[in-house]
Amino acid sequence: MISVEGLTKRYGAFTAVDDVSFVAQPGRVTGFLGPNGAGKTTTMRVMVGLTPETQGRVTIGGHLYKDIPNPGLHVGVLLDASAQHAGRTGREILQLGATTMGLPSSRVDEMLDLVSLSAAESRRRLRNYSLGMRQRLGIAHALLGDPSVLILDEPANGLDPAGIRWMRGLLRGYAERGGTVLLSSHLLHEVEQIADEMILIGRGKIVAQGDKKSLLDHGQAASSLVTSLDNEKLAAALAAKQYSVEVAGDGLRVGTDPVEVSRTALEQGVLLSDLRSGAAGLEDLFLELTSDTQREGHPAAATQQGAIA
Amino acid sequence: MSTTSPAPAPVPTLDISQTAPVPFSRLVRVEWRKMLDTRGGFWLMIATAILLVITVGLVLLVVALNDDPIEIGANGFSQILTIPLSLLLPVFPILSVTSEWGQRTGLVTFSLEPNRVRVLLAKVTSVVLLALATIVVALVLGALGNVVAAAMDGTDVVWDLELDTLLLTILLQLLYFLMAYAFGTVFLSSPAAIAVFYVVALMLPLLVYSTLYAIFDWAQDIIPWIDLQYAMTPLLDPDDDATTMDGLRILVTVLIWIVTPLVIGTRRVLSSEPK
Repeated sequence: MISVEGLTKRYGAFTAVDDVSFVAQPGRVTGFLGPNGAGKTTTMRVMVGLTPETQGRVTIGGHLYKDIPNPGLHVGVLLDASAQHAGRTGREILQLGATTMGLPSSRVDEMLDLVSLSAAESRRRLRNYSLGMRQRLGIAHALLGDPSVLILDEPANGLDPAGIRWMRGLLRGYAERGGTVLLSSHLLHEVEQIADEMILIGRGKIVAQGDKKSLLDHGQAASSLVTSLDNEKLAAALAAKQYSVEVAGDGLRVGTDPVEVSRTALEQGVLLSDLRSGAAGLEDLFLELTSDTQREGHPAAATQQGAIA
Repeated sequence: MSTTSPAPAPVPTLDISQTAPVPFSRLVRVEWRKMLDTRGGFWLMIATAILLVITVGLVLLVVALNDDPIEIGANGFSQILTIPLSLLLPVFPILSVTSEWGQRTGLVTFSLEPNRVRVLLAKVTSVVLLALATIVVALVLGALGNVVAAAMDGTDVVWDLELDTLLLTILLQLLYFLMAYAFGTVFLSSPAAIAVFYVVALMLPLLVYSTLYAIFDWAQDIIPWIDLQYAMTPLLDPDDDATTMDGLRILVTVLIWIVTPLVIGTRRVLSSEPK
C-alpha cells in the first residue's frame, strides 16, 4: 500500500536517500532497518510530505500524501514522539489531533486506554513524560483516526521490554486486520520478531529486502556444524564427496547443508551428538550487508544491543 | 549480494472518495486552542487580564484621589487601554508560528494538514480573532471604568469615542498583531522574533524615535514613513484632517513591516523542513 519508487533526496552534495524503491503491502508489517543516518527517517519524512524529494515519488494507496484529504484518517504517522509541545498535557495533544480530524473526544479516551496511559498520566505535561510514555502517546496519536496505513519511525525506542512486547502484539494485530505497517529501527532484534518483510538500508541505499527466510537463503553458501562420535571418519567421508571440511572447536564445519551431513553420517554409521545449520544469522547478514556503509569503523558497535538479544 | 525485488503485485488503492478535507473552520479552532492550551499561553492570558484590570484600577484611583473632577471620557479610556493590550498579546501571534519549529509540533501539524498555506491562513485568522476578542474585553472594561469614573466625580458620563477613532485604534492593534505574526514566519524562532518585534514596535518608537522627533527636523520628516504608530498618529487625532500624505505613510510602513516580512516568511514556511 506504500509504494516508494526511485526515491532520491540530496542535500547539496550529500545524498541522504539514493534511488530507493520498495513496497509495503497491506496485511504485513514491513521493517525498515538500517544504522543511524542510513536514510530511514528522511525516506519517511518524504512519504508524508514534510521533506520534498529530489527525484522519484512515494504513493500511499496510489495517492501522493498531499492529495489525501484529512490524511490523519488514512495514514497514522509517528516520526518523533518528542516532537510535541512540552507545555501541553498528553490528553490535550490527542485532543488537538482528534479535533483536527473531526473525531469525538471519546476517541481520545479510547486511545489513552489502548496505550495504557492512565487518566492521571494524561493530565501531566509532556515535559514530565518519560521517553517510553512519549512513545505510547505518539502511537496513540498515530492510531487516532483509525488509519489503514501506519508509518512509525523508531517506535520501540525508549520502550521497556514489556512495552516492546506490547507494541509487537498491537502492530501484529493491526496488520492481521489488513493494515499496512511500516516501522523503522536501527536494532535488528526489534524488527526481526515482528516484521514479515524487511528492507535493509545503509548510506541511503537499499542493500537487501525480502522476508526473513529469503534474506537468509539468499547468496549464502550452505554450511553445517556437526559433532559426532567419530569426527575423523565423518570428515573423510564428507571430504570424499568433495565438501569442504574444517575443524571447528569440538566438531566440524562442513560446506553443505545439514541434510547432506546427516545422510553421510547414516551411510557411514557414525552417531551424531550435534548437528545444526552453520549459516550466518540475520545479525551477521545485517552487519555484512551494511559493513561498507557503517558510520562506525567497527561494525559491531552499531548493533551491540542486537548482539545481547 | 543481490536484492530480491518486490513482487509486482498490484498496489492496493486507498479509497479517499468518501473523505472530506479538514474544514477551514476546524483548522482555525485548533489553532485558536493551540494558542491558549499551553502553560505559557495560559499565563500570558492571565497576565494580560491582570494588566487590563490594573490599568482601569489605576485610572479610577487617580480620579478618586483628585479633588477636582477629571474628565477621562470614553476616548481617554480607549487610548489608555491600548497600552496593556499591546504589551504582551503580540507574543501570541509570534508563538503561534514559531512554536511549530521551536517545540517541533510542525511535524504533526503539517502531516495532519499538508497544505501549509491553509495552516498559515488558519493561524492568521485565529490571531485576528484573538486580537478582536481582547479588544472587546478591553472595550467593556473601559466602558465600565468610564461609568464608574463619572459616578465617582458626580459628573455626566462622557461618550466621546468617535467611531472613526475606534476603528483606527482597532486597525492599528490588528496591524501590530500581523506584524508580530509576520516576524514569527520570518525568523521561525521564538526568541529572535519576540526580540525583534519589541525593538521595532516598542523600544524604537518609545526611546529612539521620540527623542529624535523632538530634536531634529529631519526626524519629523522621516519617522512617520518608517514607524506605524507615527504614521497613524495624524489619523487618530480627531482635530487633524487626514491627508493623502498620511495615507501614503501608512501604506509605506505597512509595506515595510508587514507585507515584506509576510512574503519572505510565507516562503520560508512553505520551503522549510520542520525537523
